[in-house]
Amino acid sequence: PEEAAGPVSGVWWGLCPDNCPLSFCRLTRYIVLLCFTKFLKAVGLFESYDLLKAVHLVQFIFIVQLGSAFFMLLFQKPFSSGKVVTKRQWIKIFKHAVVGCIISLLWFFGLTLCGPLRTLLLFEHSDVVVLSLLSVLFTSSGGGPAKCPLTVFPKVVIIFILAALYSSLIFFFYLAEGHHDSALTHVLYTIIAFLGVADHKGGVLLLVLALCCKVGFHMASRKLSVDVGGAKRLQALSHLVSVLLLCPWVIVLSLTTESKVESWSSLIMPFITVIFFVVILDFYVESICSVKMEASTCARYGSFLIFTSALLFGNFWTHPITDQLRAMNKPPHHESTEHVLSGGVVVSAVFFILSANILSSPSRKGQKGTLIGYSPEGTPLYNFMGDALQQSSQSLPRFIKESLKQILEEYDSRQIFYFLCLNLAFTFVELFYGVWTNSLGLISDGFHMLFDCSALVMGLFAALMTRWKATRIFSYGYGRVEILSGFINGLFLMVIAFFVFIESVARLVDPPDIDTNMLTPVSVGGLIVNLVGICAFSHAHSHGASRGGCHSHDHSHSHHGHSHSHGHSHSHSDHGHNHGHSHGSSGGGMNTNMRGVFLHVLADTLGSVGVIVSTIFIQRFGWLIADPLCSLFIATLIFLSVIPLLKDACQVLLLRIPPEQEKDLHAALEKIQKIEGVISYRDPHFWCHSASVVAGTIHVQVVSDVTEQRIVQQVTAILKDAGVNNLTVQVEKEAYFQHMSGLSTGFQDVLAMTQQLESMKYYKDGTYIM
Amino acid sequence: MCNVWNITFFPLFFSSLGLISDSFHMFFDCTALLAGLAASVISKWRSNDAFSYGYVRAEVLAGFVNGLFLIFTAFFIFSEGVERALEPPDVHHERLLPVSILGFIVNLIGIFVFQHGGHGHSHGSGHEHSHSLFNGGLSHGHSHGGHGHSHEHKHAHGHSHGHSHGHSHGQDYCHDDHSLEGMAGSSKQILQGVFLHIVADTLGSIGVIISAILMQNYGLMIADPICSMLIALLIGVSIVPLLKESIGILMQRTPPSLENALPQCYQRVQQLQGVYSLHDPHFWTLCTDVYIGTLKLLVAPDADGRWILSQTHNIFTQAGVRQLYIQIDVAAM
Repeated sequence: PEEAAGPVSGVWWGLCPDNCPLSFCRLTRYIVLLCFTKFLKAVGLFESYDLLKAVHLVQFIFIVQLGSAFFMLLFQKPFSSGKVVTKRQWIKIFKHAVVGCIISLLWFFGLTLCGPLRTLLLFEHSDVVVLSLLSVLFTSSGGGPAKCPLTVFPKVVIIFILAALYSSLIFFFYLAEGHHDSALTHVLYTIIAFLGVADHKGGVLLLVLALCCKVGFHMASRKLSVDVGGAKRLQALSHLVSVLLLCPWVIVLSLTTESKVESWSSLIMPFITVIFFVVILDFYVESICSVKMEASTCARYGSFLIFTSALLFGNFWTHPITDQLRAMNKPPHHESTEHVLSGGVVVSAVFFILSANILSSPSRKGQKGTLIGYSPEGTPLYNFMGDALQQSSQSLPRFIKESLKQILEEYDSRQIFYFLCLNLAFTFVELFYGVWTNSLGLISDGFHMLFDCSALVMGLFAALMTRWKATRIFSYGYGRVEILSGFINGLFLMVIAFFVFIESVARLVDPPDIDTNMLTPVSVGGLIVNLVGICAFSHAHSHGASRGGCHSHDHSHSHHGHSHSHGHSHSHSDHGHNHGHSHGSSGGGMNTNMRGVFLHVLADTLGSVGVIVSTIFIQRFGWLIADPLCSLFIATLIFLSVIPLLKDACQVLLLRIPPEQEKDLHAALEKIQKIEGVISYRDPHFWCHSASVVAGTIHVQVVSDVTEQRIVQQVTAILKDAGVNNLTVQVEKEAYFQHMSGLSTGFQDVLAMTQQLESMKYYKDGTYIM
Repeated sequence: MCNVWNITFFPLFFSSLGLISDSFHMFFDCTALLAGLAASVISKWRSNDAFSYGYVRAEVLAGFVNGLFLIFTAFFIFSEGVERALEPPDVHHERLLPVSILGFIVNLIGIFVFQHGGHGHSHGSGHEHSHSLFNGGLSHGHSHGGHGHSHEHKHAHGHSHGHSHGHSHGQDYCHDDHSLEGMAGSSKQILQGVFLHIVADTLGSIGVIISAILMQNYGLMIADPICSMLIALLIGVSIVPLLKESIGILMQRTPPSLENALPQCYQRVQQLQGVYSLHDPHFWTLCTDVYIGTLKLLVAPDADGRWILSQTHNIFTQAGVRQLYIQIDVAAM
């Protein structure tokens, strides 16, 4: 592990390209060399795939090892030069060779299963990329930002999005492609088939396993290579030993099975190219390049080129040797064994290139990120920047743990999370069952459920995000997210309701025949899940109400943590002024986000109820019209229940005075008018930022001989009683108006103010005289 | 204002050509139209007791809604494209080519009009802008010439792709609204966005023409879904920045155009005589170019409050903040 940690931190911190003052010319030379080699390697792998069709796997590896051992011995002369290898080192080399053999067996077997293109895509990640990926995924950052780069967090997110996209696309295209290679038979293949994993996926798993092994193997062999006297010498010796290892196996194999190949002579050239391109040239050039350049740059260019060339060849490779072989020996190869280029592979190749780029690029930005952070002296204003950055520098398990903790500690998000889990479980059961029984209805319903889950995910994310602290950019905090999320949920519900409405009108005219057999169990399952959800969320409502009771008039506590969000919103609503909006079937006790989610779940429930009811009607009475009628009814119901939510959200977004506090605020403004020394006020703006933050601004004009501080305090106190907890009071004395009139005040306003002042002056003069 | 009507009825006219087959697209077109119209009307309403800032935010909200719907449409088109790519259906492509060429021409005209009319418009708006800066600092009910339809182009955009993505109309008008925004904020970025937009539209119609040709001459049925997928991607890409902007406004984000100027302003305020510190600064966008700010100053007991107030107002007005609320707290001795 310590060996592994070294290069990882090296990638992030030590290997900044600016630190190496190499001339660009020399660098480009190496890059060109590297690219050329990688290109050749792709050629070699494609050829070896063709060869593997003719030659047995073990024989192939044996020949390759033999050839490379021969050339390496020729170049390196490990026995004539350098130190004498001790017995213990021989044992280590032996182990090295065994592991190396196993890895190459895995690799080439994966090649036969997956085809060269996929193999290249999967296997040719350099150690640096894999290690950094692994470190992002699995190391826990004990040392905080010192160890892990600051930009890991976005990277993790990106990678996961890519991975999710990739897997879904693979799944998708896999369905589209169908099974297209089932001709190869092998022991391992039967195991894989036995396990029930499709052959591509089996090959993919195999290759990923081999890749991980390879990286670990390289790491482990680093020390050994120093002992033996250079990686090249180790490689040569190891090749030699593995040849010796494989020799008995090959002999046994060639004795027991008859060879498919009649003339080995025609295969000499391809074998030599494979040996040179895949093993020797690649090894030498990579070792040179990793010495001359940084490993990360090397990895970036190398992987980019090898993926592109793999894609190119995947499209245009015409398998010349296969044709040759086919011409030579009669047993025809199945046409279906060609691993064609599919859309999924192209997409995944692009993703691989991107992620390799992301992972291998040294994070210079992140290093700078700590140095940024504007802080004006004397103000503790932007301290949270540091917190935010620290928060982002976490490895994945830690990140998951933290966010789970965050989710679970708050009632809303916990509720959503549990329900989301339930929903997802149901969805996946449905999907798998659908795939199993090959029922299209189930699959489509499952995808529909997945789509529904996205609303839940959004709600969950919003519930989490609401609690983020305010930053320099979002100075009021992220409380609005929950309103936006509720708004979006409401909008989409509206759209869905509209579609259902339209379609059911169309069906009302011409009711289609519906196959009702499949529907009932699924919809009953969905109904149960959704009912659980409704129970949970309405429980949240009552819970919120009870909590609202204890916080009901407690406006004095600071609202930086949004932990009381729904409790608080309820406390506002129970001020008891009959605010003229009714909240459909959901209570007014929840925040907008929860209401949106609740409505969504409610709509789903109604949908499954509708399906069940209409199924019963159709089966019992044969009323085909029951289905569109039900959906019409449901659509209307959804529509009506969404409207208040949308209205509320719109009001908040349009910066309306919070309706619950309107009267209080007006009373408070009257009180302000009556404060001693206050002439008037103008521009009173109050608006609800989120459920718990009511912001307000006001200008107060005062006579010139009062203390401003007292006015500010009085006004703040009055408005705080009215529920405004983020207030700014600007106190203006009369001389200020002249200043402002030159700056930005509207002409009319200035006029009004000066008139006001004139009238006040008389009064003031009177007081002065007295 | 005539722009609004143009954009509103141009698509309607086009949709009556029978190109719309799907109620889905029809619906989105209509909602976009209605939302746009309603917003442009509502945003002119006077402010009242309840809505103390007036209804100017309606335009942002409408833009947001339209953007959301467009993203949804793009997603829908994309998924349909994928579906069709898997099994290409028969497309009646006899009339597609002339229609798509027509669309391309309309698009070209759009670019042309934008290049010529857009400048004039933006000049005019710039004028109006400065005018209101002098005059209407406190009249928040004032209507901002063209913002009312800043979202319009979105719908026009979506509209163009909604039908057999053959024609796009009137984006041009909206682009100049965009350039109006550009006048207020970081014009470079916005102009870039506008350019991208135009390029996206034109590329879309070129794609339609190419796919029509391919289908007609070579019978490559797969050209159509690929083209529609590309168009969906283009819509998505071009909508994202606008959506981001409107979400930022709705979430009371610090305006991006002020982001760089503000730290300097803070420093200048802190250098004023008698100012100890500055806290709770909130700056946000009311609607497209009206910025509102609040901040609290902690000042020395013997400082001249009025002078500080006017100086601070001065500083932030120069930075472009329209309405400013400064609370001056006197530090304890």
